[in-house]
Formats: sequence, C-alpha cells, structure tokens
Amino acid sequence: MVKIALYPPNSLILADLLERRGHTPLVLQKQIRQKIKDPEIDSPPMNITEEDPIKGLKYAAIEVPSGVRGRMSIIGPLIDEAEAAIVVDNAPYGFGCIGCARTNELSIFLLRNKDIPVLELTYPTNQDETYVMVNKINEFVDSLEQTAGEE
Amino acid sequence: MSQNLTMSPDLGKEDWDPDVITRMIFIGPGAHVSEQEIVSEFHMLGLPLTIKNTCYGSMISGKSEHVYKAIEEIRKLDPNHIFTKERGFAPGDPRRCRGHRFGPREGFHQMEKEYRILGFVSEALENPKDVTVEEKKPVKVDDFKKIMDECLENRE
Repeated sequence: MVKIALYPPNSLILADLLERRGHTPLVLQKQIRQKIKDPEIDSPPMNITEEDPIKGLKYAAIEVPSGVRGRMSIIGPLIDEAEAAIVVDNAPYGFGCIGCARTNELSIFLLRNKDIPVLELTYPTNQDETYVMVNKINEFVDSLEQTAGEE
Repeated sequence: MSQNLTMSPDLGKEDWDPDVITRMIFIGPGAHVSEQEIVSEFHMLGLPLTIKNTCYGSMISGKSEHVYKAIEEIRKLDPNHIFTKERGFAPGDPRRCRGHRFGPREGFHQMEKEYRILGFVSEALENPKDVTVEEKKPVKVDDFKKIMDECLENRE
C-alpha cells in the first residue's frame, strides 16, 4: 500500500481510482476533519488558527502571503507524507477551499521537487482523454506496486 | 456572509470522536442502481451508521471500520458506477449543510465539475482499452494568417 499525494487534493475521481487499487490517497478532507475535531479550535469553519501560518513557514518563506502559508499548513503535511504523487493539470480546482493559484503552484512545485515518482496528467474533456487518464493512472499504480515488490 | 463564519454549533459526542468518519457515495451516470436502493442496502447491512440520502447518492458517517465495511459491500452492487470520497464534516453539520447557510456548500463546485466526466470514467473502468489521442498543436502561423486574410476580405 503506497501513500499517494493528489493534485487537486480533494479530487473524487483520483482518490476513488487509487482506493479501488488498495492504495491510500492523501486527501485534503482528512486534514480538514482533524481540524474540525480539534476541541481547541473555537470557530470552524474558519479553521485557521494563529499557529497555522507559523507552521506554513516550513513550506513557504515569510514574504509569502499568510493565506498561502495558512493553506500550506494543511496541504504541506500531505506532501511530506507522500510516497508518490499524481498531478492533474488544468483541473477544475479553482473553486472552494483551494481556489488559490499561488498555493496550487507551490504545492505542485514541492511535489515535483520531492524525490518521489510523479505522474503528470491533463484534465480530460472527452471520452478518449478519460480513457488515457484512467490507463495512465493504472499503469503508474502497477509500476509502484512493482517497485514496492522488488524492495 | 458573517453567518457562515461565526456559527458555533452545539456538537455531539460523535462529532468530536476522531475515529468517526464521513464518506460521500456518488452514483455515476448510467448506473444500474438508484440512490434509494443504495440507502436501503446500507440500512440492510445493519451497521451502526448515520445514513443520509442525497441527490448524488448518499452520505454515511460512523466508526471508520463500519464505514469501510459498508463501502466494500455497497461497491459490489455496481462496482464501475459507484464512487466514494472522504468528507471532513459530518452530514447535516450546520457549518457546511446548505439548509443552515447561504449558497452552495464548499466543495460542491468541484463535485459538479467532476461529475461531468464521471460517466467517461465508468466507461473506462467497465471496458478498458488502449486509446491514443492526437496531441493538440497550435495553428501554424501561415494558416492563421490565411484565415485572418479570408475573414478580413469577407467582411469587406
């Protein structure tokens, strides 16, 4: 079982395809759940405490806006934990809680720079492209299983 | 929008339990089961779960071992059309539930977008085959110039 980071980290399709193969997708919702179950945080859904931008300093410099550092305090631990990664370009993640272009760029940069296998895909718009995406994900997972088996 | 941010719900014991998780179950386009069938099946399993019927499928909440067991069972109904996803907040949590706040729930837009290709993913899972897609290339400068000239001529 390999821990695989995803981008977008709240993707339904990516997480489901990996779980079908018995791997652990590192999804944002698990991090959010930890936050909201923390009795020390008074007013979720703001969720960000004054500690979070400080934690975010591990991933981004002090000049980086506090919003990016706050987001990185949630997404960063997922990147640290990752043993492999799947990044989907042009995915419709410009919505909701991760609608921050700089955080997206920084997260993808950190995943690429980490010495782990990374699969980069383009978000499909039609049936053929979806076939290609699903096939590539399956091949990538097979190669991870093979590497894990050899070790 | 301050109502969305300052709500401090009165949470129960289960809401604070770190072992209690919530999963969303999506029924993809062309599925052989309905939302109601899924919910009935969950009830028939007899596991201690909170089950909510939704427009896209259902939502279940409970101890992680029960939730994963229920998902394993429910997938057997239609493995290629049932998709599941984690959810941070419990069903009906007033901080996320649309019934208590304004506008769509956060995460709804992502779900809506992904739902559009969910049918294609089901198809790819059901009938796996190798497909090659022609890579999109930018239009050549000469062709572009020709089209531009044609358009300008036609306008006159």
